Amino acid sequence: MAQPVLEWQAGTVTAIRPETRQTKSFTLVLPKWMAHRAGMHYDVRLTAPDGYQTERSYSIASAPERVGTIELTVERIADGEVSPYLHDVVVTGDQIEVRGPIGGYFVWEAAMGGPLLLIGGGSGVVPLMAMLRHRAAQHATMPARILYSSRTPEDVIYRQELDALAVGDRGFEAFFTFTRQAPPGWTGYRRRIDAAMLGEVIKPFGTHARIYVCGPTLLVEAVATALVQMSVPIEQIRTERFGPTGV
Amino acid sequence: MNMDDADMNTALMVDGNAIAGQLLDVFGRDMTMAVARCAGCAREAEMGALMAFTHSPGVVLRCPACEAAIARIVETPTAIYIEARGATFLRLPR
Repeated sequence: MAQPVLEWQAGTVTAIRPETRQTKSFTLVLPKWMAHRAGMHYDVRLTAPDGYQTERSYSIASAPERVGTIELTVERIADGEVSPYLHDVVVTGDQIEVRGPIGGYFVWEAAMGGPLLLIGGGSGVVPLMAMLRHRAAQHATMPARILYSSRTPEDVIYRQELDALAVGDRGFEAFFTFTRQAPPGWTGYRRRIDAAMLGEVIKPFGTHARIYVCGPTLLVEAVATALVQMSVPIEQIRTERFGPTGV
Repeated sequence: MNMDDADMNTALMVDGNAIAGQLLDVFGRDMTMAVARCAGCAREAEMGALMAFTHSPGVVLRCPACEAAIARIVETPTAIYIEARGATFLRLPR
């Protein structure tokens, strides 16, 4: 498959939407927009006046069906180099240097089929949301479930959209778990994702599910290990590790 | 957080996806779907699925099955070094 050369380009920020206390979604119009596959990311590059450059990767939150623009949801890392700039300095109308879409491994397309099991922790939900938005845009009907771990209710990204999707789409269900503080009256999960929880969520899919796991490394490690112990074929599990951010 | 060094190494680990942009610079194409066969245990894995340790001067990619070092990539101001003794081969999809 011939691969187009990816060049750095200046995207224009046309909207900034706060998602949670720590996350914002940035809509960028790209002069050389290219259709991505859900799960891919863009590299963002900042250049200081003295020429110092630094890059970070951010998952695309929007579906490829949204032509001409991308949406990146970015978690603010307090001691980070790029995310505090994006959160605290960038305003609508600014230009940001980006390159993408990048990464053909952690991707799902409706044509790949299902059932689809998405497991995310913290901002690891972002590429999973792109997959769900793509699934919805394609009116795909394969069963899909998301198991999403957050510290507190205030930390859940896309909560309203996930709830609305679950109401409007009989093929989709969302499961939330809270590791520090659950909402008042919460009857669902309130612990880190473990084998028992995975067993319950995966049950209707058996070991046939296509599984995507994204989040902090220790969460991904724990989930992948548990899935393999449940005899899920390793070829059906795709993982993306974000590093040490704890959830 | 109370961790010993091994735990901290695990927590800092990412995967090949995280260096997709760097691999793109080096190889001029997406490498996350390129398959590496581990010279140690013969497991074949997409580069996107390799364990990646990036908190060092350079990147170390390890086999997800046996954790042997598959490749090391070090960039200096004048050159890029790629040591890939740990891979029997890389298979790049056309």
